[in-house]
Amino acid sequence: MTDRFESILDESISAWQAGVPLEEILAEVPDYADELRPLLYAATVLTDPNPVPAPAEKKAALRAEYIKQVTELPAITPAPFRGKVRAIIKVIKRRTTREAVLKDIITVTITIILTLFVVALTLNYLAANTIPSDFLYGVKRISEDIQLSLTFDPERKAELEEEFNQRRLEEIEKLIEQNRAAVIQFKGILETKGENLWIVEDHTIFLPNDISIEDEIVEGDVVEVIGLLRSNNVLVADTIRLVR
Amino acid sequence: MEGERSLLERVQQHDQQALAEVHDHYFDRIYQYLNYRLGEPEAAADLTGEVFLALVKALKAGKPPRTSLAGWLYTVARNLTADYIKEKSRTVPLMEDLVADEPSLTDQIHLSQLAPVLRDALLKLTEEQQHVIALRFGQELSLAETAQLLDKTVGAVKALQHRALASLARHMPQEVQHDG
Repeated sequence: MTDRFESILDESISAWQAGVPLEEILAEVPDYADELRPLLYAATVLTDPNPVPAPAEKKAALRAEYIKQVTELPAITPAPFRGKVRAIIKVIKRRTTREAVLKDIITVTITIILTLFVVALTLNYLAANTIPSDFLYGVKRISEDIQLSLTFDPERKAELEEEFNQRRLEEIEKLIEQNRAAVIQFKGILETKGENLWIVEDHTIFLPNDISIEDEIVEGDVVEVIGLLRSNNVLVADTIRLVR
Repeated sequence: MEGERSLLERVQQHDQQALAEVHDHYFDRIYQYLNYRLGEPEAAADLTGEVFLALVKALKAGKPPRTSLAGWLYTVARNLTADYIKEKSRTVPLMEDLVADEPSLTDQIHLSQLAPVLRDALLKLTEEQQHVIALRFGQELSLAETAQLLDKTVGAVKALQHRALASLARHMPQEVQHDG
């Protein structure tokens, strides 16, 4: 209400200063006329219709004194470097209003997010066909872990885990084809359990004497194997655990 | 007259031509502002001279106006007004003359007769309200120009103007308030 009245008051003052008669202005806003009338009267009286200029003689004397002092001012010749610094500070000052800073923060944040997004997509694409010991293999595994942690439906999560395990098995095939050594990890059914040799998912695994297997594992159990595939294609287990 | 921004930059460089232009452009405005606030032409002229000498002094001290030339000049004028009024109130009762000259408001109310009454009331406003009134009605500056000189928002100046006019209107005779 006050804001509205303040605006009406100001518009009325502007109209009156433009020469619109007082009664005509009040007739435009009859609801506010009683409140406006004394304020506009006050505004009328307060306005100096013919402001008197300063006496010419006095003005000339004051100007002469001023000019005299101006001529005594030391000259300023800013060094080019100082001028540049000043210009830079000026630009910075102009840019450091609250609005400009906020705008900059938003722009920078959006740019960073978009850049990270594009980088992540590119790395993910490049890492898709890597196998263990490749440079970008870690990216592939991180991407899978993120995908799993963002999947909340248990069925879909189980499907993904199975899909990723298939990838692990395919990776082992590729490593064997290329006779490459790498740390591997996969899950599968324990088909045969010998003293030092187990067969899991068609892969023969050598168990060194110092391996510790905490779980009671029998043939037919699903196990997770972490170990080293040597370049001679011998798979040496490091850890074997029961998948519950 | 070139843009205020460009003039300000030249003033900051102690450009004598620019400083002469500043005097020619702003002298009458500052004088009228001071005369409006004080109602004393002689004192207003002296204080106007002081405003411009203060500019030279500030330049000498390496503290030139930074953002607005007009804003700087009006601020100095405003401060000098406050100092003058304070000094005068210590020596002469300020309202004495005005009260003595106040006309009797009887049958015929004429706007011109209200002036002394309002001037009396004007001096009872806050210093900031007096400054706004002088800029809006003495100098006839727009709300936006006034807001820029005061470094305030247009809304804040509107509110100041409203409070000042309402306070002044309370000092108007009842006949005027309900005339219609």
